[in-house]
Parts: sequence; structure tokens; C-alpha cells
Amino acid sequence: MNQTATTMQAGQTRPARTAPRRSWLSDVPDLLTRIVAGLIAAAAVSYVVGFTLWTVVISFTDSTLLPEYSFVGFKHYWALLRSRIWQVAYFNLTIYGLGFILGATGLGLLLAILIDQKIRAENLLRTIYLYPMALSFVVTGTVWAWLLNPTIGVEHFVRSLGWEQFNFGWLVDRDMAIYCVVIAAIWQASGFAMALFLAGLRSLDGDLYKAAAIDGAGPSRMYLRIMVPAIWPIVVSVLVILLQTAIKTYDLVRALTAGGPGIATTLPTNVVYDYMFQRGLMGAGSAAAVMLLLSLLIVLLPYAILQRMRGGKGGGLG
Amino acid sequence: MKASLFRTTGLALLAACLVHAPAQAEPRLTVISQWSAGAEGAAMDAFGKMVTEKGVKWEHSPVSGFTTDMMNKLRADIIAGKPPAASQLKGPEIKAWSAIGATVNLNDVVKATDYEKNISADLAKIHKPKGDWIALPLQIYRVNTLFASKKAMDKVGATELPKTWDEFNALAAKMAAAGITPVAHGGIGWADAMYFELTLAGISADAYRKSIMELDDKALRGPEVLAAFKQLRQLTKWMSPSNAGQHWSVFLPALMKGDYGFLMMGGWASGVLKKGNFEEGKDFLCGPTPNNTGKPVFDMNADGMIFWDTKNADLLAGQKATAQVAMSKEFARTFTQINGSIPVRTDIDLSDAGFQDCQRDAAKNLSGAIAANQAIMSLGHNMAQTSPVTAALRDVLTEYVHNDKIMPEEAQKRLADAVDTVR
Repeated sequence: MNQTATTMQAGQTRPARTAPRRSWLSDVPDLLTRIVAGLIAAAAVSYVVGFTLWTVVISFTDSTLLPEYSFVGFKHYWALLRSRIWQVAYFNLTIYGLGFILGATGLGLLLAILIDQKIRAENLLRTIYLYPMALSFVVTGTVWAWLLNPTIGVEHFVRSLGWEQFNFGWLVDRDMAIYCVVIAAIWQASGFAMALFLAGLRSLDGDLYKAAAIDGAGPSRMYLRIMVPAIWPIVVSVLVILLQTAIKTYDLVRALTAGGPGIATTLPTNVVYDYMFQRGLMGAGSAAAVMLLLSLLIVLLPYAILQRMRGGKGGGLG
Repeated sequence: MKASLFRTTGLALLAACLVHAPAQAEPRLTVISQWSAGAEGAAMDAFGKMVTEKGVKWEHSPVSGFTTDMMNKLRADIIAGKPPAASQLKGPEIKAWSAIGATVNLNDVVKATDYEKNISADLAKIHKPKGDWIALPLQIYRVNTLFASKKAMDKVGATELPKTWDEFNALAAKMAAAGITPVAHGGIGWADAMYFELTLAGISADAYRKSIMELDDKALRGPEVLAAFKQLRQLTKWMSPSNAGQHWSVFLPALMKGDYGFLMMGGWASGVLKKGNFEEGKDFLCGPTPNNTGKPVFDMNADGMIFWDTKNADLLAGQKATAQVAMSKEFARTFTQINGSIPVRTDIDLSDAGFQDCQRDAAKNLSGAIAANQAIMSLGHNMAQTSPVTAALRDVLTEYVHNDKIMPEEAQKRLADAVDTVR
């Protein structure tokens, strides 16, 4: 991710630097900036690339508590792919990823459109919706663990109001618990999606609205057919950002369900941590981490290529 | 002449330094453990006090949380080349970890006392993995301890703890009929694994030893393990499904109130109850978990302390003094009275008021089980296997506890297959 961020910044600064001819003296600060920025970028890149490569090397060894270099080929990869915990974790990631990305994008878009209606107290609402983004996933997980716990949370509350038969035990139901993770994650990220969409909608030319209105488009048609296609690049960016968030999610599950009931809500990141730091299996844990990195690349590489093909200039907005 | 004078002065200086060094270095001990609070933290403080009285500066840095969190800190310290002088470590991990860091040889310190004669041979073996003493056990907990709520027992008219699984099942059914949740169980991975180990140990300690401790494939696929899975399924039906993912201690107040009937948990629960001012006999009953074998079974969890090698004279002196304290009768009494464990030494009189009946029962249980060759090592508490093996088994067991669609036969197959992949 650091790499993308660096290229993005570099890409943004370059077009701005079309200054007229200057004396060589005025180039000195510029050169200095470039050297310093280059050093920092080099350090960041070598840090990321270096440790990534080291992890890949370790994943092919039989390292346990400490790194050692007895190579065993793809042993850990095959063992992981066949192991039940890894299969469960990837199945969960599929459900969680789809639910979270579609849910947060959909809700974010809806909120953005509603706020776009020139309503009163817009600033206040926007802040409220964006607020969960300021929280860490650990806090979100803990709060929702209390809310969703049948004995103290929502179920208990509704029952105390008189609906004795009310049931909401998803958190402790092995088939539904993963959807609790989805709900908490949507709550956290939809405000972020809203903020980006709202910025997109606001950046559109006002004439677009008027033209559509004159042509007799209703509000729903106007948004779905005109506005959303117009901000499509932002939609794609939101989808990609949420996708990589989904694949990286670790702390939410840890705080909300601890991977349970049983192993029902375990995600691949939890497996990586478990292998590395609970079981003391550095080789197998590294293999799991590398597979996780590969799944990220599968998602991000086509996107980067697409961006490059479409824009050609300045790299992707990752 | 000049050179020789120079040399003499140098030697004299060096000698002065050598003589002076031990006097300067006040013995001290840096130690890390997970025991930060509650009864366990208090016991550790008492340990520190006893060591301090021997003139050793006690520097305890607790790393609270799971044992593995403490071990991650330990690993970081070892990699950095600065291990603590001593750290908590137990079971087969002592052997595994002694391979990645140099340890202190305690043979002379141990041999100077009558310690070795007075502890179980199985336990001694764990603490000298290659024949030399490198670690010392501090305490023993009986994992197979059954706690019953006195109020719940009164409600169904029961006065005695169930002795066999059939008796347990009958009594739990009565409690369920009376509106009590029979089994207080939280549902964190290790606790799920522990419930399995208790059912298997109570069905056949011999099958437990073969299947879990020796990972024998035939035993793993044998009838006793299947029977244990069936009994465990029965137990899970008596647990509250709302408790998934919670720590066992959360349910202690409700257990004392009589909302729950039984809790199966190591002896440390009695230390917690004692600290909460609950009384054995009045608020709860305590004894071994159901046992069909006819002879005493003791499922052991023994925490130990490993001593890491160091070049600092002050730490070496501190280690020696601490080891002497840890082997003493006085330590055995003080430490275990606070946290509810039982002494490692079998020659300690537990009759005085500082001990609970629960501890006396466990101590008697231990000597009986050693005599009957039914003292076994706990799976859930990392005494039977190293953590990679334990974790592989735990994944199967925790899923089974929380998914009643998995049949006992299927679970048994998964357990044996999981062992195949890590063996």
C-alpha cells in the first residue's frame, strides 16, 4: 500500500510543476526536496519489499519459534489449503467481503443522496455519519459485542419492553455470527463511503441537474441514470478501498466474536496471527500471510492495470 | 623491572575488581509471567516477598492475558539476546523453548535438597528435558475439578457430587427440568478443548494417555474417544448457547446464585471463589469431575519457572536463591494457599485452616492417581502437547462444541485426521 501511496503523490505533484524557466539557484531547494523525498520513498519501499521477500522466504522453510532456513518447498501451502480452518476462513472472507463492500457502498450512496437534498443540519448529520470512521475496529467490535449479546444487548432490551418472544441471537448462532461482523463493519465504513460520494455529487456541474429536470427525469431516475454514472470513478475507488479493508480485517473479529462460536467467524488474518503468535509456527504462518498478500494482489493488480489503460497519466487513485 | 611492576599493578587492580564485583552486585531476579492480578497475582507477590527476604531484588514484569501473550514477549526478549533471568513456562514447551535459548543448569541446587525425592517423577521429567534441571514446577492444579452450586443442588434435593457420568447426566437432567442451566460454560477455544479432555479422562484415563498424550492413531479412532464425543455432545446441550466466546469467570456470580448447576474448571476457580468470599460447603461444592474408571484420575496442569542463562553475576546469584525458595516447603504452602493450587511437594501437610477442602481433596486425588498410574497431562492447558499440536486439536474440538450438526463419529474422524497432519 505504501508504494501506491508514494506513486500517487508523485503523480499528483508532477503536473503542477510546469513552472517557467528559473535560474540554477532556484533549483537547489527543488533538488533538495527531491533527494529527501527520494530517500524516504526508498526507505519505505525497501522496508516493505524487504520484509515481504523475507516473509516469502520464511514461508518455504520449516521455521517454528525462530526463523531457520531448512527449505521444505510448498509444504505449508498445501497443508493450509487442505486444512479446515483455512477453508472456513476463506469462506467467511467471501461472505464478509461481499456483504461488507456492497452494504457499505449501498448505504453510503443512499446517505450521500439523502444529504445531497439541501437539508437542514447537514453538517451535523455528516459528522454523525462519518464519526464511526474515527473509531478503531476494536472499539466497534467491543461495542457491537455488547449490543448483539442476547443476554445484555438488543434482545434483552426489547424483551424488557414487553416483547417476551423477541429473538436476536445472531452473535451466538454459528451460521449467523458472520453477519454480525458484516453489520458492525458496515456501520463503521458507510460514513466514509458517504463522504466520498457526497464530494463527488457536489463536484458535478449544477447544469446537469437542471438539464435532467427539464427533460422530465424524476429524482430516482436522475440519480441512478445520470449522477451515479457521472461519479463512477469514485464508486470504483470506494469499492477497491473497501475491498482491501475487508481482506485486511483482523481486529473487528478479534473484539467482536474472537473467531467464534467455535471457528465460525474466523477470517484469514486471524489464522495468520494464530499460526505466528499462538502456535509458534513461523513457517506456516508466513505461508498464510503470503497467500493473503496474493489475494490482495489479485484484486489490486487488475484495478491498477485498468486505471493505467484508461487514464494513461499519473497512475491510479488507490 | 618496570614491565613487571606494571604487570603486578595490573593484576592487583584486576584482583581488586574481582573481589569487589560480587560485593557490588546485589543479587536480583528479572522475571516475567502472566500472573498480574487476582489470586494469581497475589501469589506471585508473596513469592517475590519470600525471595526479597533472602536478599534478592525481585523485578517482576507481568504480561497479562493468555499464556501465549507472555510467550511472545519472551520470544522477543530471547531474539534480542536479553532474556529475563526467569520466566513462567510449562509442560512440553520447556523442552521446545530450551532449544532456542540457553538455560541455567540447576542440578547442584536441586541435588543439595530433598526436593526430587518428594515430587512426582512424571513432573520432574518435564522440568529436565535433557536430563539436567533447567526449570522448576511451582504448583499443580487439578484440571478435572467439578464445582457445583449449592443453591442449585438444594433446589433438586441433591447433597453429593455425581461420581460417574451416568450420575452426572441424571442430576443435570433434573436441574434442567427445574429451570436451571446445568453447565456453566463460556466457550473460548481452550475451555472447549478442556471439556473434551475431562469427558475422555473420566471415561478412560488409559485411552486419554494413548490418544492425546501419545497421539496413537488406533486409540484416537477407538471406542473410548467416540464415547467421549457422545458425552461431550450431551454436555453441550446443557450449556447456554448465549455464552459463546465468553470467559468462564463471567458466570461465577450466576453459578453461586443457583442459575447454573455445575462448572468444570481447574482448581484456580476455587482460588477465585475464595477471593470473592464464597465458602466451600455453604456456597459451592467441590470435587473431582465424573469418573467411570473406578480409580482416581488426576488431570494435571503444572506451572513452572524456567531459568535463562545470563552472564551477570547478580542475576546468577538471584536465580540460585530463587530456586532455593521455590523448592522450599514454606513456599509450597504460602503460594498454594493463596491461589488455590496444590503443592508440587507431596510431603506438605494440608490440614491447617489456610487450605480449602477442595485443595486437600485434590492433593489426595493426586497421590491416589499416581499410585494407580492415572495421573495425566492436560490438553487444553498445553501440558500434553506443544502448542502447534494442541491448537490443531483445539480447532476440531471447539467447532464440535459449538456446532451440534457435527456427529460424534464425524468429529472423531476429524480429530484423528488433524493429528495426522501435525504429527
